[in-house]
Amino acid sequence: MLMMIKLFMSFMLIGLGAYGGGLVTIPLIQHELVSGRHWLGFDEMAQILAIAQMTPGPIAVNAATFTGFRLSGIPGSAVATAAVVLPSILILTLIVPWVEKFRSNGYVNKFRNGIQLGVLSLILFAVWSYGVAAVRGWMDLVIAAAAFSFLVVFDGKLHPIIAILACGVMGVVIF
Amino acid sequence: MNCRAGSNGVSENANSVSLVNIFGTFFRIGLFTLGGGLAMSPVMRHELVIKRRWMKDADFISVMSLATVVPGAIAVNMAYLLGRRLRGKTGAAIAISGTILPSFFVILFIAGFLLPFFNYPKVAAFFRGCAIAVVGQLAFAGFIFGRKLLRSWRHFIVCAGGVLTIGVLGMHPIWGIMAASVLGFWLCPGDNPQGADCHANDD
Repeated sequence: MLMMIKLFMSFMLIGLGAYGGGLVTIPLIQHELVSGRHWLGFDEMAQILAIAQMTPGPIAVNAATFTGFRLSGIPGSAVATAAVVLPSILILTLIVPWVEKFRSNGYVNKFRNGIQLGVLSLILFAVWSYGVAAVRGWMDLVIAAAAFSFLVVFDGKLHPIIAILACGVMGVVIF
Repeated sequence: MNCRAGSNGVSENANSVSLVNIFGTFFRIGLFTLGGGLAMSPVMRHELVIKRRWMKDADFISVMSLATVVPGAIAVNMAYLLGRRLRGKTGAAIAISGTILPSFFVILFIAGFLLPFFNYPKVAAFFRGCAIAVVGQLAFAGFIFGRKLLRSWRHFIVCAGGVLTIGVLGMHPIWGIMAASVLGFWLCPGDNPQGADCHANDD
């Protein structure tokens, strides 16, 4: 029972922090599940993140289902998945009646600017924290740099799955 | 407020959309779209606006702009707002279930049946390659956001404040976002990188 409550709290935080796209959830997931609670090893989390991007659905939701299942079976996966969508439902239910005011409110817009910069700092932090755990040699660094350049050259028009699969195949060949 | 469009009869077939139809449509979208909100929203627009004519494009765009500025996975936020426009709060609940159930079952299947194979050396090597790709992907996201958001030294300071809170002080990433929003409120008031877009999208 305690486990379920912890699982619920962790994924509620992850759902709350998932702001403006799936990649932001990666540092949150790493912090909550790997460095904070030691529920998963880094490699296990990295597998979940790769699978989450290759299957339908948002990264946060997929990671919740997977981690919940790993920790306490089907009940765990249901609890974690519900927890990760709960912040969306609560926040939207609260603000939808006020949405016009919310949009034109100067304070909200000023905070929004900072929130976006906060999300950027979270991603930059993740490049480091996730990077030092995933990149374990010069060869790895070359692959990561190749994936980055590939994405920059196509300027976002390439589905990220293609880059992930390509690096996976490179991994099979090299490692 | 979002339901207003439906109750005022702006879109006359909005109230006739059945819950089963909503569930089926969102289930299909959830099943056949790889990835989250950014991959899903064009598919949602195609299914709801173009194919089924359940809402107008302007309504869809206003939903999308709201879904990306509130916390939570974008796909879930989109499903909530679109479902709510179609059939109120029940519609929202049905749309969210439809969107996440396919991925829930797919992940359960993978976790339940394929997990034992993950330890095979070649499979592990594949995932190691994938993990390295994610580093490149994160760096790319940082590059794209940075190019858009870092417009003056003030923005750099706000961003650095967030990084320091998480990386050096070792606080929870959520505090990093909070620290940056407070710093940003204080240091760069008035300039809103997406301000223009925010007004243009209002219906």
